[in-house]
Order: sequence, then structure tokens, then C-alpha cells
Amino acid sequence: MNSFLNHVTSRLPNSSNAAIAPEVIVRLQKVSKVYDENTPCLQDINLHLKRGDFLFITGSSGTGKSTLLKLLYGEERATSGRVYVNGYNMDKLKGDRLAKFRRRVGVVFQDYKLISNRTVFENIAFVLQAQGRRKREIERRVLPTLKMVGLAHKAAYFPDQLSGGEQQRVSLARAIVGTPPLLLADEPTGNLDSDNARQILRTLLNLNTYGATVIVTTHDTQLAHMSKQPIIQLRQGRLYWLKRVG
Amino acid sequence: MLQSLTKLGYLLRETFSGLRRGGWMNWAAISTVTVLLFLFGICVQTSWQLDSLLNHFGSQLEISVYLEPDVQGETLLSQVERRSEVKQVRMISKDQAWESLLQELGVTDMEEATQQLEGNPLVDELKVLVKDADTVPRVVEELSAIPGVDRCVYVNEARERFKQLQWGLNWVSLSLTVILSFTAIAVVTTTLNLIAVSRRNELEIMQLVGATKVWIFLPFIVQGVIFGVVGGGLALTLLTSLRTVVARVLVNQTDFLRFIVEGLQLNPLQLYLLAFIIFSLGISVGTISSFFAIRRFSFR
Repeated sequence: MNSFLNHVTSRLPNSSNAAIAPEVIVRLQKVSKVYDENTPCLQDINLHLKRGDFLFITGSSGTGKSTLLKLLYGEERATSGRVYVNGYNMDKLKGDRLAKFRRRVGVVFQDYKLISNRTVFENIAFVLQAQGRRKREIERRVLPTLKMVGLAHKAAYFPDQLSGGEQQRVSLARAIVGTPPLLLADEPTGNLDSDNARQILRTLLNLNTYGATVIVTTHDTQLAHMSKQPIIQLRQGRLYWLKRVG
Repeated sequence: MLQSLTKLGYLLRETFSGLRRGGWMNWAAISTVTVLLFLFGICVQTSWQLDSLLNHFGSQLEISVYLEPDVQGETLLSQVERRSEVKQVRMISKDQAWESLLQELGVTDMEEATQQLEGNPLVDELKVLVKDADTVPRVVEELSAIPGVDRCVYVNEARERFKQLQWGLNWVSLSLTVILSFTAIAVVTTTLNLIAVSRRNELEIMQLVGATKVWIFLPFIVQGVIFGVVGGGLALTLLTSLRTVVARVLVNQTDFLRFIVEGLQLNPLQLYLLAFIIFSLGISVGTISSFFAIRRFSFR
């Protein structure tokens, strides 16, 4: 039986990114999130991640995995406790400072969040346009990113013309096109068959080897166990180690 | 420079995309703004025209000063001319007036007519033209007090009516503008809000990927401004057409109506000012509506 841990610190075993200074990129201190007073979503969570770490967070639906990620990109605020990401106190980030912080965090959504009337290329370019990047830079970045996820040949397609797995890969491309140091993937394989799921997982692991810090939530514990990365489980609002590394 | 062009390109693209999404709702917004600005323009224009007409009347206003029977016009002429409010004084002697009257009556033998009435029954008259229409009542009062003046006659009533009409019109136009502005703001806000809702997915993603609020919402502000500018342009076109048609209809009418038409003309400065006021109001309505639409469309 896994021992209860209210203080989780992940440590990287495979130092493929050993050149990067082991700075703290995510720190949660006694974080609680309550939507309904009788059923707290997260309770006294402590989490400590260094640059270049890879972490799986598992748990069944409704256990607060998405909420935990939302705290990390400022979509939700903690009811109590402190959330620090990339050196920022998330409780104090608002307006333009929050917008600029989000440019350094890539998010892969479970429901893809693609714009249906824009092509694959436009969906990815849209992120860079929204950030005010120049046209030449946008063109320079989008196609290599699409190649990385294996969809360069479908740049002119609309999302409706793609399979679920392909749409999720577009979503992943959009998250990484700005080369963010932190990548958050919320159930990226939730709606996919095992082949597509493995392909997404491989891409995420690849990105980690390039130095990105990656946090992946999934309800599929088996899939998480396929890699050698650390796994923690979210249960009744608390974190438990499923697989510790190093 | 390149950065600014990129931003301008993005802004125009997103604004156009928003307008395309709006479809017929754009027309609803623009037509409401047009109606507001057209009616507002008519009110402003009519107020100015009445003002101009008043001055026109004023410049034509002459006070007829009738002297007592045994007083010679020349004796009072210089005294009246010296007054600072007076622009010009013209004397019509009783002989001139008598001659003119008999001519109008068709009498050819003047001497016989004079004998029959035991002399010229008329009096000397001074036609006094004042500089400022507003001073007419005071001048009349003062002229009436001069010894030798029997009575003064001037067309006061029409001028007072015009003044009342102008005052009433100003109130009507103010009320109309306020009510219609609220209506226009409500319609434009709803239009922009519907466009925002139809693009909610995009806007949410933009927020999540790090677009600033200005970057996200500036296209909506520009859309509001476009509604105001297009509405203003249409309203000005309608106003110009209306003015032209009215002038054409009245130009072949009687002297009095022609006189009115002259009073209705706006000078170039007023035309520019009217355009400026209409566009300013249109842009203000558009911008205020955009802010309301954005405020109502709130998400984290």
C-alpha cells in the first residue's frame, strides 16, 4: 500500500538534461482548493518540481487533477496556501503580468480547444499572433513544430478533418510552438486509442529530453507505468506516491 | 516599425473577422447609430438654421418711427443716427409717402386729391435699421420717448415665435439625443456581445496562451468605432441630401420662401462643425458600447 505523503518532491533519475541548473520551477505549499465547503477538491498539497523534471499525476475522474494544473497556469486560484511557478507567486499574478507568464507555459487540453474555422497551421500560428510575434517568426516556428508532431502534411486541414489523435497532436504542437520551459498536459491521452496515446507520450518524453519540465495528468495508470518517470496519485484531495524514482 | 505593422495587420484581420461573424447584426448596429446621428444632426442643423434665420430677420428688421404731424423728420434724424445701436436711418417725408400712396391707389391727379382732403394727411416717417436684433425692443422704447415721436412699429412677434421655437427645439433635440444614444448603445453592445459569444472559444484560448486584454479586446473597440464612423457617414449623406432637396423645392417658390431658404443655408464652418460633431458622437457611442460589451463578456 502506498504511504500517504503530503509532501511530494520529485527527483529526476535520468539526467538527460543535467546541463540545466536544478532550479525549482513549481512549488506548492500547503495548497487547498475548495469549490464546495463540504467537499474540498485539494487539501494541503505540497509539491516541489525542478527544471527538467517529468511527473505523472494520476487519479480517477473528478479527483482534482485538472484543478491542480489550472492552479499552475493561473486559471484557478488556491483557496489557501501558496503556488509558485517559474518564480512567480500565482496568487498575485493578474492582468498583463499573468498573460505574459502564460506565454512561458504550454498547456495541452483534454478537449483540444482547437478553433474549428481555422486550419491546423492557423491554429498554431494563432498562439504566436496572440502574443504579438512577427509573421516571419511565426512561419519559421510553425512548420518545424508540426513536423515534430508528425502533422506537417496536414497543415492546411481543418480540425474537423482530423482524427482525435491528430487533433490532440495539433493541441500539443500549439502548446510547444513557443518553446515554453514548462509544459502542462491535462489528460492528453484521455480520448485516444492506445497507439495514439503512446505517440503523444513519446513526444512528451522527447520534449522532456530537450529540457522542458513536463507535468502530465492521466487517469490511465498503466500508460504512466510504461515510462520510467515518477508517478503520484491524487486521491481524496491528497497526493500519494505511486512510483518514486531515484 | 515592423512590430507596429504586425500589430496593425493583426488588429485589422481580427476586426474584419469579427465583422464577418456579426453578419446582419452589423447592419442593425449601424442603422441604429445612423438613425441616432441623423436625427441628432437634423436637430443641430435646424437649431443653427433658426439662429441664422433669426439674424436674417433681424437684419431685415426696420423700426418705422412715425412723427407727430407738425414735426419735421430732419429735426430728429441726426439725434436718432447718433445712437450706437442704430445702423442706418432713412427718412421718408410725408410728401414722398403721400405720392407713393396715391400712386399705389391709382390716383393720377395729386393736387385734386390733396385739395379734397384739405392737405396731406400723412406724417414724416424715419425707417431705422438696428445693428443687433436683440436690441430692437430697447431701441423702440427709447425712440418712443423722444419728444416729437408719435409711435414706433416693428415686427416683433415673428421673431419671438422663432426664439421660442428654437428654445423648444433645443430641449427636444437634447431629450431625443439622450434617449436615442441609450438605444444605440444598447443595440451596439448587444451586437458586439453576440460576436464575442460566437468567438468565445477563440477568446478563451487567446487568454490561456498569453494574449493581453488589450490585444484580445482592441478589435472589439475598433469594431465599435467602425459602427460609429459608418453610421456617421451615412447620417451626413442623408442630411446633405435632405438639405439639397429642401433647397431645390423652395428655390422656385415665393419671395418669402426664398428669403427663408437663404436663412436656412449653413456656412462652411458650420458644415465642418456638423460633420465633426456627428462623427464624434458616433465614435463615442461605438466606443462606450464596446466597453460595455467587453465588461459583460467577462472570463478569467
